[in-house]
Amino acid sequence: MQKLEDKKISEVAATGKPAIVRLEHISKVYGIGETEVIALNDVSLVIEAGEYCSIMGASGSGKSTAMNAIGCLDRPTSGRYYLDGVDVSQLDDAQLAHIRNRKIGFVFQQFHLLPQLSALENVMLPMVYAGISSSERRDRAVAALTKVGLEKRLNNRPNQLSGGQQQRVAIARAIVNQPVLLLADEPTGALDSRTTHEVMNIFGELNRSGITIVMVTHEPEVAKTTRRIVWFRDGEVVYSHLTPEEMLHVAVAAT
Amino acid sequence: MDILDSLKMAGTTLAANRLRSALTILGIVIGNASVIGMVGVGQGAQRLAAEQFESLGPNLLFVSPGQPGQRRATLTAPKTLVLEDAKAIATQVPAIKEVSPQIQNQQQVTYGSKNISTLVIGTNPEFLTVRSFDVERGRFINEQDLKRNNRIAILGPEVANKLFGIREPIGQQIRIKNISFEVVGVTKPKGSFLGSNQDDAVFVPITTLANRIIGRTSVYGLQVTFISVTAQNPASMSAAQFQIRNLLRLRHKITGEDDFTVRTQEEILTIVNTITGALTIMLGAIAAISLVVGGIGVMNIMLVSVTERTQEIGLRKALGATQQDILIQFLIEAVILATAGGLVGTAIGMGGISLVSSFTPLKASVAPMSIFLAIGVSSGIGLFFGVVPAQRAARLDPIVALRSA
Ligand SMILES: Nc1ncnc2c1ncn2[C@@H]1O[C@H](COP(=O)(O)OP(=O)(O)OP(=O)(O)O)[C@@H](O)[C@H]1O
Ligand SMILES: [Mg+2]
Repeated sequence: MQKLEDKKISEVAATGKPAIVRLEHISKVYGIGETEVIALNDVSLVIEAGEYCSIMGASGSGKSTAMNAIGCLDRPTSGRYYLDGVDVSQLDDAQLAHIRNRKIGFVFQQFHLLPQLSALENVMLPMVYAGISSSERRDRAVAALTKVGLEKRLNNRPNQLSGGQQQRVAIARAIVNQPVLLLADEPTGALDSRTTHEVMNIFGELNRSGITIVMVTHEPEVAKTTRRIVWFRDGEVVYSHLTPEEMLHVAVAAT
Repeated sequence: MDILDSLKMAGTTLAANRLRSALTILGIVIGNASVIGMVGVGQGAQRLAAEQFESLGPNLLFVSPGQPGQRRATLTAPKTLVLEDAKAIATQVPAIKEVSPQIQNQQQVTYGSKNISTLVIGTNPEFLTVRSFDVERGRFINEQDLKRNNRIAILGPEVANKLFGIREPIGQQIRIKNISFEVVGVTKPKGSFLGSNQDDAVFVPITTLANRIIGRTSVYGLQVTFISVTAQNPASMSAAQFQIRNLLRLRHKITGEDDFTVRTQEEILTIVNTITGALTIMLGAIAAISLVVGGIGVMNIMLVSVTERTQEIGLRKALGATQQDILIQFLIEAVILATAGGLVGTAIGMGGISLVSSFTPLKASVAPMSIFLAIGVSSGIGLFFGVVPAQRAARLDPIVALRSA
């Protein structure tokens, strides 16, 4: 346990790799006065290029809030955030949209595919907003769907796909613009253990190919497949560099 | 994101919700159909009036009692125009060719047990040429009839048909106000004029009508309903108008305002056009209101749609759509819907118009200009009423939008 205590220091000496995510004293406060909720309390966190990292913690501990801030979907109340070296706290809405489009891929628990579009069209969507020519869109979307093993399901609508297949379409969509960072908030929360395994395999492969992945999960089984676990409690990062084995200890202690 | 992508995206979305899209545009469809229909009927009425005026005959002037202002004040026409005025015009105005005074009244006309109410017109032989009527069988009124107050009558084809059916009316006796008249002729069908059927009439000598049926009705002499006059040629129309006016002012000893009106055919057509034009505008305006209501309908459904598609909007934003992208997407959807409504409504309106044209004498039609205008206005309405829903969509917070499961 002594070792765990050391890990509480959120900033560990940099390994020399460039930081993809650098949160500096980020706070997020919802509401004012009586109803005030501090969702994030002075969070500092560095995630380096190529990392494969899980965020864990009790419900309401601020995991999603942190992910939203990292994903440039939300503006923190205070603090600085550098994404791939760029201070995004200073950017306006249109610039943030551009960052989300080019640098970040999102995978959600509820897949969020558009029901009226085929798998291929869903995957092409980020490229529409990136202004990529339609012929290139198609090629890249097919390549991305092939990468997640869905080359035979290009024209299926979401309701013609299983949950696991839908999540794989969503992953293809998340990587099609070649982002530097893949964010997944409980990506396996709606999947059974077999399809969870499939999705984790794809994540592992993507990480090996160089994409930085940050994933929120409640399942130790899932978190175990990542190399670093960040533990949240009451809006604060209590452990920033847990190994899978250490995480199991913390998880047991937390329950 | 270019406009083609936006159009395609909107098309996919709208096609995916076909029923809702159809219901959304219903108001616009109805609005457009009524605008096109109303304007078409109005323009048809205008054209019909023009055609009918042409069929009246060339170089025609009308002299009627009173002034337009006076006529509005009293329900019945003032009794200022008399038969002697017509005679004076015929003999003293150089620019005119022929004069046909006319006394007309709705009367009961009977033949045997048949009894109908029709317009009895007392006039003179010149009526035929002045008003471009023709006799089909028998003869029209002649000078003898006028001089002797002959009790003869010429039937309009419709009256002939109502009273006699397929039997020959010429030589038969009919009764007007219990005085018997011999039918001596039947006129050719002429059609209706400004809504009154010119074939549903009985023509009798003006003197017979005056002396045997009506009697002296004005202190100045025998009151006439109006006098039709033809000018020598188109160029002498205004001269004729001027001379008639001078003559009548003299005869009526007028120093102030005229107690009669002399109008050329064109002037009357202009008046009729003003009236039908105003009517067209009014009908069009009422229809336009329904178009606006249709626009509000689009806005309503679009607002519901924005609420329903909150997650989609959040997702698009997460994937990199800017506020502007979302705004444009929803605006384009609204404009496509409204334009489609405009097209469908116009088509229905045109269909209605061609129905009206084939079942009534109204040659209803719509200028291509009005069609483009109606569709353009529909698109504009879509744009206008799309702004509020589109802005609401564009301003959605992506996190809130994504979370609303
Ligand atoms: N829009 C909001 N308004 C007010 N409070 C909020 C809002 N969003 C989150 N919170 C609060 O902030 C805190 C952190 O929420 P967050 O969603 O980040 O938790 P989480 O760790 O993701 O939980 P879970 O595991 O259940 O998803 C919670 O107390 C939550 O109630
Ligand atoms: Mg969460």
